[in-house]
Amino acid sequence: MESFDDGAMKKFNANHIRKVILDMAYSGATVHIGCAFSIVELLAVLYRNHLQFDPSNPASPTRDYMVLSKGHGVMAQYACLQELGLLTDGDIGRYFQNGTRLKGLADAHVPGVEATTGSLGHGLSVAAGLALAAKLNKTSQTCYALVGDGELNEGAIWEAALFATHFKLDNLVVMVDKNGFQAMGPTDDVIALGNIEEKFRAFGFDAVTIDGHDEEAIDAAYTGMKTARNGRPKAIVATSVKGKGVSFMEHDNIWHYPRLTPETHAAAIAELAENEKATA
Amino acid sequence: MRTAFSDALVAAALADPKVLLLTGDHGYALFDAFRKARPAQYINCGIAEQNMVGVAAGLAKAGFKPIVYGLAAFVPVRVLEQIKIDVCYENLPVILIGDGAGLVYSHLGTSHQSTEDIACTRAIPSLTVLSPADRFEMTATMQLALQLASPVYLRVGKSDRGDVHPGPVSLKAGELLQVRKGTQRIALLATGSMVKTALELADQGLNAEVWSVPSIKPLSQQQLAQIANRVDCIVTLEEHSVMGGLGACVAEAVSAHQPLPICRIGIEDRFSAYCGTWEYLLQEHRLDLASLKQRIDAFMHQLHGKQATP
Repeated sequence: MESFDDGAMKKFNANHIRKVILDMAYSGATVHIGCAFSIVELLAVLYRNHLQFDPSNPASPTRDYMVLSKGHGVMAQYACLQELGLLTDGDIGRYFQNGTRLKGLADAHVPGVEATTGSLGHGLSVAAGLALAAKLNKTSQTCYALVGDGELNEGAIWEAALFATHFKLDNLVVMVDKNGFQAMGPTDDVIALGNIEEKFRAFGFDAVTIDGHDEEAIDAAYTGMKTARNGRPKAIVATSVKGKGVSFMEHDNIWHYPRLTPETHAAAIAELAENEKATA
Repeated sequence: MRTAFSDALVAAALADPKVLLLTGDHGYALFDAFRKARPAQYINCGIAEQNMVGVAAGLAKAGFKPIVYGLAAFVPVRVLEQIKIDVCYENLPVILIGDGAGLVYSHLGTSHQSTEDIACTRAIPSLTVLSPADRFEMTATMQLALQLASPVYLRVGKSDRGDVHPGPVSLKAGELLQVRKGTQRIALLATGSMVKTALELADQGLNAEVWSVPSIKPLSQQQLAQIANRVDCIVTLEEHSVMGGLGACVAEAVSAHQPLPICRIGIEDRFSAYCGTWEYLLQEHRLDLASLKQRIDAFMHQLHGKQATP
């Protein structure tokens, strides 16, 4: 199996994160690969440059919060938490084996995972509660919540959006992973979402749409949103590609579901190695 | 009982600035004293109960002690999943108040009536389920809920039935409180509004020992075993479905220790059909005194081949 040297890479390298996801998915024979791939850059840039989070004290009362509301993308977060040292190589290597602690959906019993999600529409409300707590405590914490575009079908998301605006939670940054697909097909075909940025703006948010795989754009969006303490909550709509980084997975909703074969796993890893060579 | 509730809320907020009261736009006059005493600790979350419970979980994770208020039809039933996943899975200290439980909203119909909330909540791990019968139990259950520092569902039903205790009571988690001694080898175990009814039954000829069950989960297995050892049969009374409620809890526990006949009285497996007063709906569900006497007599007759009450 072809691989690439991670030693010299910058922290939270997107190709490396995708490789960890592929290895987890392959060894664990799990699904939701495409759903994890589309949020890799959003998480990588957040963990690398923005999230005030000390891995030696993951329960610090003054930490920034990263709530993965689209809990089915959790393998991307596991890869980041491994890099932070919160998860061991054994955790990653033994994914989905009997008696292990990493489940297929985000689980708050795992250090660094702030809410138990996977049932969609929960995480943003928990994030709003955390953001409100920071306001009541008069701390400078920022609370990030990553939701899927399909997740926006859930009514509770919009309850939380109203709440965040009413309580002036300008320390809440919602990232929407707009990969355009949900379980059964394109979001436009299932329950059309219209203009997501405009919807959040109509709910009282500062909102921006960016390329969800452009790390510079993501970095600038985080910087702008987390510093604008103007009384309005924030939404970053990240247009993304489900399955991003492996050509035969991109834009193909089938990668919500299937398990990797030795051949597809090897081919995907090889392509990531090529990507890494090209960018290095 | 509602005054006791309001007093307990105010006292809790005054004692601890981390106590927050969250409401789903309900409790208009009930919270006047609280809003006056601690306005900054009062959060109206609007008519959005799912979000309210998620917000409460977030607040609790960050060190606050949220008390979430709603009608029992909404908190806990509408938001059961948020309670399970956001609150209980992390064992967060959130107190959930479900008001108007049972048939209290008799005129409003099925949407506002709540006869399945105990069954729903007691199956959720780490969630304590409390159900006070009078103002003294309200004070005691609120004290217990605040001490526990873990998730609690506090069921508030018909609140104007008068006292069942002569004065303040102390309550440990799981404890049953005896409210009457009896001479017959029958125990009436009731919760919430039906404790008063059980006392009325006992006063009107069924000379049974009567127990109030303000702590439905946990429920003292030891006390239940002691009661079961002393009597020939148990009658349970609740303004809740006979499926999964107090009667089910008692039957499950007693069958493991000292099996004996149990007559579970509550709402049968049906919705209310008619509009009317609370008393009227009790009749519809055969929970009024006259119906209860007939039902218990029939049970005793079947048991002993004779009428148990004079």
